[in-house]
Amino acid sequence: MDFLGTILWPLKWVIELILVAWHWLFTAVGMPAAGGLTWMLSILGVVVVVRAALIPLFVKQIKSQRAMMELAPEIKKIQDRYRGKRDQLSREAMSRETMDLYKKHGSSPLSGCLPILVQMPVFFSLYYTLSDVKRHADANLGGVGALTPELTRQFNDAKLFELAPFHETLVNAWQTQPEGWVATVVTLLVLVVLMIASQFFTQLQIISKNLSPEAKTGQAYQMQRIMLYILPFAFVFSGVFFPLGVVLYWFFSNLWTMAQQFFVIREMPTPGSEAAKAREERLARRGKAINSKGKVVSMAEYEEEQRRLIEETEKRKAQQPKRQQPMGKQRAKKQGQRPNGTTPGAPQGPDAADGAPSGSK
Amino acid sequence: MSALPASGRGTARLRASDVAAALPLAPRNAAIGALLAYRATISRLYGDVCRYYPSCSAYAVTAVQQHGLVKGSVLAGARIARCHPWAAGGQDDVRPHPTFRYDLTPHGFVVPRRKD
Repeated sequence: MDFLGTILWPLKWVIELILVAWHWLFTAVGMPAAGGLTWMLSILGVVVVVRAALIPLFVKQIKSQRAMMELAPEIKKIQDRYRGKRDQLSREAMSRETMDLYKKHGSSPLSGCLPILVQMPVFFSLYYTLSDVKRHADANLGGVGALTPELTRQFNDAKLFELAPFHETLVNAWQTQPEGWVATVVTLLVLVVLMIASQFFTQLQIISKNLSPEAKTGQAYQMQRIMLYILPFAFVFSGVFFPLGVVLYWFFSNLWTMAQQFFVIREMPTPGSEAAKAREERLARRGKAINSKGKVVSMAEYEEEQRRLIEETEKRKAQQPKRQQPMGKQRAKKQGQRPNGTTPGAPQGPDAADGAPSGSK
Repeated sequence: MSALPASGRGTARLRASDVAAALPLAPRNAAIGALLAYRATISRLYGDVCRYYPSCSAYAVTAVQQHGLVKGSVLAGARIARCHPWAAGGQDDVRPHPTFRYDLTPHGFVVPRRKD
C-alpha cells in the first residue's frame, strides 16, 4: 500500500462501513447482492451521508450571509474610502480593513478554505477503495474493514446497468479491451459527460444569477468566466483515469450541489444580484416584501417600516445643526448689527450679538 | 483570491552569477511556482472564500518564502485547518523568519541576497 493509501486508512474504513451498510439495507429489502443497481444505490448512499454531514457547514454559511446585510453600510464606507485607488498597497490595506470589520462583527460572507478541501480525502478514500476492489477480489482478500472478501467479490462482479464494472477506468477498458468493452466505454463516456455538464451548469448558475453588480465588474469575474469554460477540459482528463464508481460518486455529488445551489439562488440570493431581484418580484406578486433586516413581511408591514424609516431620517435631518455659511468680516459686522441677526448655530443670544460689534470697535 | 501582501513581494531578480547560490533555494521556489500556478487558475475559479487576510494560498506563499518548503508547508497546513466557517478570521500574517537572508522577486520567488 502506498503512502496516501496508508494515511487514508481510517477514512477508507469509514467509507467501506457506509457503503456496506447501504448494501446490507438494499439486499435486506430483496435486491440482488451482486446487482449493479444495488451497488449504484450504495454509492448514492455514501454521497447522501457525506453531504448530509456537511449540511451544518452550509447552514452556517447561509446564516452569516444574512448577518452581512447589517454590515453592508460599514463595508460601503470602507469601499468609498478606497474608491479609485487601484494600486496594490491600497488594495491590501482595504482587504485588511474589511477583514478586521468582519472579525469585529463576528460574521463573514466567506466560508473559509477548509470546506472546499474537506471532501477531497473522502473522494480519495473512495478512489482507493474502488481501485483496490479488483486486486483484492482476484487475491480473495477483503477491504480494510467492513468490506469482506465475499462482498468484495460481489462488488467486483457487479456491473452498472449490467454493462460496465464499477472498478473499470476509461483508459484501462480502452487498452485491454476485455469482453463487452464497447458498452463499458460508452457508459463511462456518458457518465463523464453528465458529470462535467452538471459541474458546468452549477457554476454557470452562480455566475449568471447569484453575483452582485459589484462582483461582476472586477478582473476576478472575467477570470471566473474564462475558467468556467476551461475547467471542463481538466475534468475530461480526470474522468479518463477514474474508476466508474468514483465518476458515479462525483456525478451524484454534483447533483446534490446543484440542488443545494438552486435552493440558495431561489430562497437566499446574494443581495443586489439578478436572483435577488427575481425573488423580490416573486414576493411582490404574493403581496410580500423583504424588510431592512432581510426578513419576509407583508406589504403593509413593509410600507409601514419604509414610512418610519423616512420619518426617522427627516427627523434626524431636522435635528442636525445647520451648517453656517462662512462669511466675510464686513458681512459679519452687518449681520451682527441687525437686531435678529443670529443664526441657530451661533452660541450667543440676541443681547450678546448686540453687544459684540460695539466691543470690537 | 487576494493579491500577495507587500511582505511577499520584492524588487530583486536572479543574476546569472547567483545560479549556484540559488540551488539550495530550488525546493521552496518549486513550491512557490506551483502555488502561483494554483493561485492564477483554480483559486480564481473559487473566488474569495478565505476568512483571513492574506488568503490561505497567499499565506502559503509567504510561509514557504520565509521558512522553506518543509516548515512552510506545515504552517500553511495549520492555516488551512483553522480557516473554517466558525473561525474568527481577520488579519493573520506569517511570522517572518528572524534572520531572513534572501531577497524576493516581484512575483515572490526567493533569490540569494547580493552584497551590493
